[in-house]
Amino acid sequence: MPLDEYDKIAHLLRRAGFTAHPDELEVAAARGLQATVDDLLNFERFPDVSPDPELISALDLSQEDFNRSRGEFLNKLTRWWLHAMVTTSRPLQEKMVLFWHGLFATSVWGLEFWQQIYLQNENFRGNFDPDTGQILRPAPRNPFPVGNFRRMLEYLSKDPAMLYWLDNQFNVKKNAEVGSNENYARELHELFSMGVEDVVAKVPNYTERDIRQASRALTGWRVLVRANGFTFPRVFIFDAARHDFGPYEHLGKRGGTNADFIFDNIVRHRNPGQKQSAVGRFLGYRLFAFFGYDNPEPEIINALADVFDGTTGEAPFNIRAMLRTIFTPGNIVSEAFYSERAFRAHVKSPTEYVASLFRLLTFDRASGRPEGLPPSSPRLLRVLSNGMIQMGQQLFAPPDVSGWREGLAWITTTSVLARFNFATDVLGTTDSGIDIARLVAQAGLQEAIQKNRYGDIVDFFARLLWQAPPSVEAREALTAYLQSPTPLQSTTPNSSDFVNVKIRGLIHLMLAAPDFQVS
Amino acid sequence: MNKTTRREFIKKSGMTVLSVGLSHQAFLRHVRAASESVLTRAAALSPTDRILVVIQMDGGNDGLNTVIPLSGSAASLYRQYRPTLAIPETEIVPIGTDAAGTLLGFHPNLSPLKELYDQGRVAVVQSVGYPNPNRSHFASQDIWHTADPQGMKRTGWLGDYLDVALPSADNPLLAVSLAGGRLPLTLRAEHVLVPAISSVESYQFRTQPPSDHENKMRTFLALNREGTSEHVLREQIRLIALDTYESVQKLHSGVQRYRPDPTIAYNQQNPLARALQQAARILAANLGTRILYVSIGGFDTHQTQATPHATLLARLSEAVAVFYRDLVRLGLDDHVLMMTWSEFGRKVVENGNRGTDHGTIGPQFLIGTRITGGIVGEHPSLRQEDLNPGLGDPKFSARAIDFRSTYATILEKWFLVDSREVLGGSFELLPVIRT
Repeated sequence: MPLDEYDKIAHLLRRAGFTAHPDELEVAAARGLQATVDDLLNFERFPDVSPDPELISALDLSQEDFNRSRGEFLNKLTRWWLHAMVTTSRPLQEKMVLFWHGLFATSVWGLEFWQQIYLQNENFRGNFDPDTGQILRPAPRNPFPVGNFRRMLEYLSKDPAMLYWLDNQFNVKKNAEVGSNENYARELHELFSMGVEDVVAKVPNYTERDIRQASRALTGWRVLVRANGFTFPRVFIFDAARHDFGPYEHLGKRGGTNADFIFDNIVRHRNPGQKQSAVGRFLGYRLFAFFGYDNPEPEIINALADVFDGTTGEAPFNIRAMLRTIFTPGNIVSEAFYSERAFRAHVKSPTEYVASLFRLLTFDRASGRPEGLPPSSPRLLRVLSNGMIQMGQQLFAPPDVSGWREGLAWITTTSVLARFNFATDVLGTTDSGIDIARLVAQAGLQEAIQKNRYGDIVDFFARLLWQAPPSVEAREALTAYLQSPTPLQSTTPNSSDFVNVKIRGLIHLMLAAPDFQVS
Repeated sequence: MNKTTRREFIKKSGMTVLSVGLSHQAFLRHVRAASESVLTRAAALSPTDRILVVIQMDGGNDGLNTVIPLSGSAASLYRQYRPTLAIPETEIVPIGTDAAGTLLGFHPNLSPLKELYDQGRVAVVQSVGYPNPNRSHFASQDIWHTADPQGMKRTGWLGDYLDVALPSADNPLLAVSLAGGRLPLTLRAEHVLVPAISSVESYQFRTQPPSDHENKMRTFLALNREGTSEHVLREQIRLIALDTYESVQKLHSGVQRYRPDPTIAYNQQNPLARALQQAARILAANLGTRILYVSIGGFDTHQTQATPHATLLARLSEAVAVFYRDLVRLGLDDHVLMMTWSEFGRKVVENGNRGTDHGTIGPQFLIGTRITGGIVGEHPSLRQEDLNPGLGDPKFSARAIDFRSTYATILEKWFLVDSREVLGGSFELLPVIRT
């Protein structure tokens, strides 16, 4: 059975964003699928997320002072980003920042200056200028998160955190074969742009020598260690004294004086006899796996690669055009995206789990907006940071440069427990911003509670959290739960105790159920 | 491989079956325990009585300051290359000579291990590594975890063992990682799901308020019991949730059986000792666990390493010694083999910061009652021609031991399986396990 328009919109907003409240779905349904796609893609129409003044001011601390509280900084940064995902008017922008964080995986555990990871997050949002070290909203030439991929490679290669993380900071001219450190050059090919093999043709994309030659072109790309009154290294410089000016032999071409030559070769690289570029296929694969389903068919990968290559008439290397192809109905890629195969067939990452949880449970129906994660609760910061670690996705600390393993790999016995216990923790504290009494009041559930219409209560929360009616069995089990006797807090049970214990418990059970783990 | 049997069983029958399944297991255990006396303990162990405890020394242990040469050229070169880090000769604890006749000794903080060594409970396997060493922590750990020097595999060697040897085992606690929340790659399998448990206490479903706990858990189980076959992904998640429920129940039903002995004090300031105490609790509970995994971090000693490295070795040996004493008390020492590993040794030449940089080969310890104690292999040669040029760490020479020999020995002689099925090739076996 094909998806109806309402299902398509709900599906789109789960994948291209962080899940929409039923009220938002009503509004979007009235506007229609096409208008919803346009709003997501052209997010510059809407305001960007606001910076957290505490994070901004921490960037000016002396390194000694900063390091004393860098763990707390990381927790605050995590809270702020999750809050941004929950409250943003530009959901696709934040989703793409998450995509780039997973693809260009950088961890604070490889960094001396943890402040740089915040700059990288703003870089991926399009708000960082590496040449001046400034956060600007937006930074005029910055191509992230949906612009020209060729330029993204440049901005990535100038990113202070990346330069430290993969040692290019220390890559200096050595000889006509290789720079002094090939680490970044290797990952630029293997993980960040095309992969070892062409994802469709399964032939090697490059040789070890291509990597060594690329490392020469990247010599002298580094961050000024002390500059411009900043308290930590954050300004990119091209250090001609340490640079090897070529010419290089790279991906079958000879020439160049700098890394631009390498970036140009990478984005245009086609294996013999292949109609699509290696990078177009790699990104087509990664984008579709991220938004649609895992292991997309070669036709889908190739269709997206054609868009990347500009063979469909669009400007080449344009990520937004690829996303438009995925989300706009009427082509082979979007048919797959809106297919039954894709529908509810994605395991929420811990980030998506947390963001969707807060989006739905802090949504204020009066203002029509989610309120997000309150900034100043030390307990919530701890719950978030421990929870994300236990659930397996500590933001800003991917396990290694290849990022997180997505899909069913998110679900292990440990993470099932961690998701269950995270829900206990956020529902068990009043400073998490989740107001159960308001939720019940705004849903008009008081009457159902007073008249013991448990089925109605279950139906309401299933529609909110699972975005689907409950199965007969689930409805039965949850109704039985609401009926099950519990010694309540006061001696004479009343409806406020019922809300505090049983409605809270119902929400908890729904958050822990398989239905809430998929999107 | 049929892994759905147990789950299907639970799915169809509900919670009551769990306890039935448990008592069956427990029954067999008790029968075996009853038939066992001091007299029969030395008899051959059945395959199900063989437990492996893996101890990871995370960060690259400085093997040269762990097992230290006391004679020959190695001893003089050691002092020459380690002007500030060499352990004073008088403090080194001699353990004997290796196959090449070099007298070796333990770091002074390994004294508790020396006591076990003197009882023949410790095999020191020297110069363990692999050809073309990778000096990246991440890459080299992956190689050790997967037993694949190409680093291409996504499952671990013990995960593969579980898949090959015990594909249909109906036990969610067949292997348990006690090395934090993330499952070590060693235990990642294609089919068998291994829980990573930060601590026994934290491995449970927490709810609020306590008076509603039973109601919630009953509902959680009900929500996960019913399958909707048309939705494959939801179905997979549901089955893992059931596994989780079962492993939590099973763990907590058993660990109360462990009674601490006041004379066997695990130092609670020592994280490895704490983890091994958790291991002892799980083993004492007779849950059918065959593999336990613990880890101690901090071995990446690039700067002023003398004190931190000494502290780590003290923690290692103290934790192993107290765990072994506890196993003896519990009558389990005969069933347990411990293996240490670290992703690489360190450079012979100390660096400019009174530390050492990433190197190549290093020693491994195998510990247990069934071990043939002593030194296996030779200490790495420290002569210039035996070091990697420009890098200053020992070459993986013909005298070195491939780490997969240790793995093959454990698979063949301890787990009694064909190691080739797990390792994809044959490796020389080490004479370290008494059968």
